[in-house]
Amino acid sequence: MATERPDRFDQIDWDEIAGSTGRELSVNLKLMLLTGTPVVLLGLYDHFVVGAREATFERLGEDLGLASQFEAIGLTFDPSSLDILFVFTLFLFLWFVLLPLYQNPRMTRYYWKEFKRNRPAVVSLLWLGLIFIGGVIGPFFISMPEQNLIAAYQPPVFGSVDQVHVSQCMGSIENGRCHGTWEYPLGTNRGGEDVFAAVVHGMTVTMQIAFITTTIVAAIGITFGTVSAYAGGWADEIMMRFTDIILSFPTLLFFLLILYIYGAGLGMFILVFAAFGWGGTARYVRSKALSVSEEEFVKATRISGAGTYRIVRRHIVPNTASSVITQLTLIIPGFLLAEAQLAYLGIGDTAVPTWGQLISSGRNAIDFAPWIVLVPGTVLFFTILAFNFLGDALLDALNPKAESEAGGE
Amino acid sequence: MTEPLLSVRDLQKHYPIKKGWLNRQVGAARAVDGISFDIQEGETLGIVGESGCGKSTAATSIVRLEEPTAGEVIFNGSGRGGASRNADGTHPNDVTRFDRRELKRFRRDVQMIFQDPSSSFDPRMPIGDTVAEMLIVHGMNDKHRRRAIVEDLLERVGLSGSDYDRYPHEFSGGQKQRIALARALVLNPSLIVADEPVSALDVSVKAEILGLIRDLQAEFDLSLLFISHDMSVIREICDRVAVMYLGEIVEIGDTETVFADPQHPYTEALLSAIPVPDPRSRTEQIELTGTVPSPTNPPSGCRFHTRCHRVIQPDGTDIDQESWRGLLNLRDSIAADEVDIEQIRELAQASEPEVTVETQIRSEFGIASLADSVLDSAVTEAIEQLAADRQAVAAETLAEVVWTPCEKREPPETTHSDGHVSRCLLYEHDQPETVAADD
Repeated sequence: MATERPDRFDQIDWDEIAGSTGRELSVNLKLMLLTGTPVVLLGLYDHFVVGAREATFERLGEDLGLASQFEAIGLTFDPSSLDILFVFTLFLFLWFVLLPLYQNPRMTRYYWKEFKRNRPAVVSLLWLGLIFIGGVIGPFFISMPEQNLIAAYQPPVFGSVDQVHVSQCMGSIENGRCHGTWEYPLGTNRGGEDVFAAVVHGMTVTMQIAFITTTIVAAIGITFGTVSAYAGGWADEIMMRFTDIILSFPTLLFFLLILYIYGAGLGMFILVFAAFGWGGTARYVRSKALSVSEEEFVKATRISGAGTYRIVRRHIVPNTASSVITQLTLIIPGFLLAEAQLAYLGIGDTAVPTWGQLISSGRNAIDFAPWIVLVPGTVLFFTILAFNFLGDALLDALNPKAESEAGGE
Repeated sequence: MTEPLLSVRDLQKHYPIKKGWLNRQVGAARAVDGISFDIQEGETLGIVGESGCGKSTAATSIVRLEEPTAGEVIFNGSGRGGASRNADGTHPNDVTRFDRRELKRFRRDVQMIFQDPSSSFDPRMPIGDTVAEMLIVHGMNDKHRRRAIVEDLLERVGLSGSDYDRYPHEFSGGQKQRIALARALVLNPSLIVADEPVSALDVSVKAEILGLIRDLQAEFDLSLLFISHDMSVIREICDRVAVMYLGEIVEIGDTETVFADPQHPYTEALLSAIPVPDPRSRTEQIELTGTVPSPTNPPSGCRFHTRCHRVIQPDGTDIDQESWRGLLNLRDSIAADEVDIEQIRELAQASEPEVTVETQIRSEFGIASLADSVLDSAVTEAIEQLAADRQAVAAETLAEVVWTPCEKREPPETTHSDGHVSRCLLYEHDQPETVAADD
């Protein structure tokens, strides 16, 4: 019998097996290491080796002796450290959010069935997908908007503006009104910068803020919450009081202080707001982890002989994930609005074209060139709305219990 | 007698109760207070009792999901047999002293099934992975082998191998309990602790699962510790049964003997609660009066004396048992200041025809007019004092004459027949040694 079917539970020779540790790297982690390591190395290289005025990839080509090949395939970018961080978080998202959805098709189908009942959320998802794709690949096809004072205040295509406001009309002039052209599909602002290009590059910034802050907030919040819940006693007390301090910290004032002392770019904005934005998440994770750890399946795993790390990593964190994802989608709009407000007040990062900055650049001309404010304003408005809808729908889809308790089904 | 697979000795689990900002311990809830029993290889021992009597805590303490406060759990399975005690009196097979490595080894030998099928599986993990996780934890790295083993096992418990990738919410309660069995079995243990495994199931599903447990037990020579509050389930599956009340075992013995000839009044009460499928049979239902006392402050002497229908009368007292129970209840209620004299007065006035407060109280507590004049006048006086709002005096008056030996002394163990032991003062004089010790 044993030779015919060796894979029966009562015929395992445990003394032979039990010596090994049972640790193995998951596919997801392997892929992350494979793709993440070059990105991290590039980031370090960019920070320590490449000079301030050098383009990263050009320098890399020179150092590797492959300058000509790099130029031939167009590898001449100069990514900022924020771009590199963004790529890193994108890989995290790919391997730990999207790939698991593919790996667990049954669960994905179940979530999708729940999710798609919420029509506004599906539209929101499409809209955010558009912003995401535009933000990630747009900058490769559409160059940064450049100042061109001659082409200031060009109206959008199908629109028109009184000739007196335009120094040189790029389109046709009819009855004293300048009409827009396809060269500037959404018009230009006072500096002659293409609004469309600025909106696309703004998508990149938006996605960078969304992804990087989310990663930082999730990493700190989940770690802090689970450790606090599992440590208990004094450690828990101290950690949660520290969280209270973080929650009551005047982040905006602190950011202004840094701004006046050191000057602050978008990177600093993301860092400061993420570093003080995880308090709610940590609290949330802690309470959720406490309730999950009382469930019988955690007892059942403990009685299997699994260590605390395995239980937390395999059972506690995945079971808090649904609420964390929901909560994160609901705090992203806060960051986006904060960035837009700072940019509008003129204390944002002038080196990156954000929607807030574009809105700010159009406020003096709002009476005759409303598109400069309206286009980025509308996009910002719908993006924030979409995040909120998405968060609500995810709460229902990922927490079927919560819905049935609320009497939804 | 052969060495038992598991032997529990004087196991205790107390939960400290802390107060104040210094977290000083002010007391303890004695969930399990000194229980002892043995389980032989291939045997099923049932633990039965009301909810809150500590039977689940006993289970989790035995498998060391919670650290027991005191006592020994000696496990002699899987090549550990034949060990003798160390010089310092500790036992090398004492689970409560196992270190990390030994404990992990022990996890392969003893597994557990939980009560609630809906919460005993991770909702975000396919059930196959949940079962296979046990194998990973114990070092099986071969993914395909894990899957083959789990699929084979799922078929054995009456599911299909293709259920591997399905999620807990896709199964019914009975199916989940089958998966729970698979999870408990996958490490090939010698003992399974089942904590109310069928309590959450429908009657027909219950029978199926019990049948499955029995079949698997016979096939793989398992021992079982089966915890339930349901006497009929116990009768169906257990070889021996231990009856627990308030953290203590009050009676233990072969299931047949205990069911046919219960010795402890509490066991009698539990057995009388089993419905008999015969409309003409009129077995007397024993109704337990009073509430379950709190384990933080258990009653003195025999813990069951506050609710016992056969509570002993002191020498020289001989009244009917129902009134005696009522007298003790009245005494305890007055002492705890639980008698609402205003309400009783209203009830007495409202009844038709109008009765005195004394009559009303007597009928509420079931105290007939007593032949014993000393007791009867004490009751009358106590009620008069109570009506005059002197609760303390009333309590004292009754306490002077109403008392029972059950609250004074802890009952010793009485052996009725081979392996049938109970703890009740009623049988104190059946036991030659205890009589000798008392005198």
